[in-house]
Amino acid sequence: MSFAKPSVLPGFGLTFGFTTLFLSAIVLLPLAALTLAAASMQWSDFLAVVLSARALGSYRLSFGASLLAASINLVFGSIIAWTLVRYEFPGRKIIDALIDMPFAMPTAVSGIALTTVFAPTGWIGGLLQPLGVQVTYTWLGVTLALTLISMPFAVRTLQPALLEVQGELEEAAETLGARRFYVFRRIILPTVLPALLTGFTLCFARAVGEYGSVIFIAGNLPMKTEITPLLIVIHLEEFDYQGAAALGVVMLAISFVVLLTLNLLQAWRRRRHVRAAH
Amino acid sequence: MSITLDQVTKHYGGAPVVNDVSLEIGDGEFFVLLGPSGSGKSTLLRAIAGLSGVDHGRIALHGRDVTHIAARKRGVGLVFQNYALFDHMTVADNIEFALRVRHVRARARRQRRQELLRLVALEGMDHRLPAQLSGGQQQRVAVARALAHQPEVLLLDEPFGALDAKIREELRRTIRQVQRELGITTVLVTHDQDEAFAMADRIGIMNLGRLLEVGAPHDLYVRPATRFVATFLGAANLLLARSTPDGIQLGASVVAPAGHVAGAPEHEVVAVVRPEEVELAPTRAALAARYVAEGVIEEVVFTGALERLRVRLTDGAAEPLPAFAEGDANTALQVTRSRHAQRGFEVHAGQAVAIGVRRVHVLSTPLSSFTACAASAPLAEALSRQPLLAELVARMKTRVGMRVEPQLGVPNAACETAAAFVGTTVIAARPEGAQRAEWLLRRGAQDLLILPEQASAPQRVLIHWMGEAARSATLAVSASVLRHVPAEAVYVGIFPGDADSARHPPGMRELLDARSEAQAAHGLEMRTELRFGEATQELSARLADAPAQMLIVGVTDLARFGARFGALLDGGSWPVLIVQRDAA
Repeated sequence: MSFAKPSVLPGFGLTFGFTTLFLSAIVLLPLAALTLAAASMQWSDFLAVVLSARALGSYRLSFGASLLAASINLVFGSIIAWTLVRYEFPGRKIIDALIDMPFAMPTAVSGIALTTVFAPTGWIGGLLQPLGVQVTYTWLGVTLALTLISMPFAVRTLQPALLEVQGELEEAAETLGARRFYVFRRIILPTVLPALLTGFTLCFARAVGEYGSVIFIAGNLPMKTEITPLLIVIHLEEFDYQGAAALGVVMLAISFVVLLTLNLLQAWRRRRHVRAAH
Repeated sequence: MSITLDQVTKHYGGAPVVNDVSLEIGDGEFFVLLGPSGSGKSTLLRAIAGLSGVDHGRIALHGRDVTHIAARKRGVGLVFQNYALFDHMTVADNIEFALRVRHVRARARRQRRQELLRLVALEGMDHRLPAQLSGGQQQRVAVARALAHQPEVLLLDEPFGALDAKIREELRRTIRQVQRELGITTVLVTHDQDEAFAMADRIGIMNLGRLLEVGAPHDLYVRPATRFVATFLGAANLLLARSTPDGIQLGASVVAPAGHVAGAPEHEVVAVVRPEEVELAPTRAALAARYVAEGVIEEVVFTGALERLRVRLTDGAAEPLPAFAEGDANTALQVTRSRHAQRGFEVHAGQAVAIGVRRVHVLSTPLSSFTACAASAPLAEALSRQPLLAELVARMKTRVGMRVEPQLGVPNAACETAAAFVGTTVIAARPEGAQRAEWLLRRGAQDLLILPEQASAPQRVLIHWMGEAARSATLAVSASVLRHVPAEAVYVGIFPGDADSARHPPGMRELLDARSEAQAAHGLEMRTELRFGEATQELSARLADAPAQMLIVGVTDLARFGARFGALLDGGSWPVLIVQRDAA
């Protein structure tokens, strides 16, 4: 192909073809089918489904809790990644392995486990109850579940980035007179910012699509603790495939806009960085 | 003084990486810390910068004790080997970093930045990113950045390591120029002796965590005090010579009038002969310099201005000349010859030549070579391969000879070999270590190493002497040993009786005198320890205290030797080096 740059490894044609095919079959086609299913609806029916009060409430919870969960992971995931990268302590390898546990567990199991611990009769829930904090069956529980299942994304994207921040940079900054917080803000943060954004994006994407763990801890009260994926399942159970597809399209659109924004932000940052150079 | 280090020590996992370093660096001086990798030079530099703490000792900058002060308050500028520039900032932001931290106004910042960019010859590069600069330019930016806050001391950690030869040369000149212009006290760490020669006012040479020698480049090259400095700073042939009343005898002739102490017995010394001080001629008569030995050319390498040769020594003298060139144990001599000398006498491999020496320098080290002594040849052979001995021999670039004494340890029996004892005699600790030691000491062995089979490199060397006459010799031997093992030196002062009776000032004074003599005469930093009781008992107890210790003990009289030293020499797993000097 003419637009392929010469490369040491041949096979651009083959790999490009495979990429296109694979993406089409696995990602694009199903998405198109979904959109088509929704498109067969009347416009007014479509609006009625996606703008119903119940649907609006579920968007708020789904996207709000996902953003919150991603933000929490940004902070605490960074701290965990930092600890794992920078310090050598007994049990480090074990903790490092534990990070991936939420990946491996069926999400329903995570949900049940969380519910057990945070229910008013559970270990932590029992402690929170007297303080008037209710976790299960509230938006707090939803956020908690989403935080747990997306946490590995934050840690795993940040670890390699932090590994790359040379200790020498911090030392250089220190000999130049900078205090620790200043070093963090001006040296470490800018260096790992792309990884932070990526981690945030991945966490968010994972949280929005989550279903299994949330339904156990959320209680699924319409308008209050009902997430959009659950609403979709409810529509399916009522054999309302079109309604489910309509909600699916809305989720798709919002997710796409958010992810695109984050990616553009990254690209803009990179461009600005390069422009500063000229 | 700009920088004062006082007994600075730093351990990593038990082993000292910086071992009792004391040093003073003057205002505006360009000081180079030179040493092989792992010698502790970078750790020392980081300690001065405040990036790594010290376990012991004091660091002062311009008279201010900064030992416990954070790096950012020390007022130093540090340049790293890998530049350590902030990649997400422009050149301007990098250079202004230290000024921003100090809330300097934008105009003053810009002015200072332009001044610095001019200084390092990078005008107009303000708005580039580090990734757009070459390695040499990046390091210039790093230098400018380190100077922005007008530090009192500039520290450079292998700053040219990542650059190619030509750019390195250029940057050296720039840095030297900047340093002169600003008059800033500078410490540069490097493993490259050319770099040290090219830049330094003074050089300090480190090995195994110790600062071995400090001096002007020329002085260190011409008159090194230690084997390590002699061979690390330029090429050198280390040769065994004899100190006689007539002078220094090297091979066939007396080559130098060196200061032999009148009345002292003949003894072996280590002579340094630089490759360029060797003369080759077709015959002995044709030599302008003093004849040393016959040799055969082994290898000729043409390197442009100079010709490098390896010459194997054949005999040439009544007593063959044991020589060991740097690196290998064979007896090839390194020689370099100028074009002029090459034109005068052309040589080729395989040719027989007469070897002369124009100038020799004799090291002050009392440890020249080792002689493994045992009752039979196989035992001596086995002893010569003992790991600790082998390590010492390799590190000291010396050789180990063999001496068989079938009657070793048999009372009243005479020596089998008529020749005098040469260098340090070594015997196995078992069996009958004390008895054999006494046997050898009474028959003329002066320095005697008693080596248990399983002994390995010590982490601590205890030093003690019984009788003032042995003091200087014991200190000299200790200093020599400690230059070759990364161990800490502890002088154990032992006073009779219990702690109460030892409040006598003479005891303390003796201790302090010993320390200052060690430091002044041998550059050896020692800790001191006080114990009370009978000397050999206390030493045995101290040695049994911890593993990996060695004892160096000076003795003057051998009365009741077996009774006194039995426990010390027969019982332990520690090596003991006995230094015997007569109470004159």
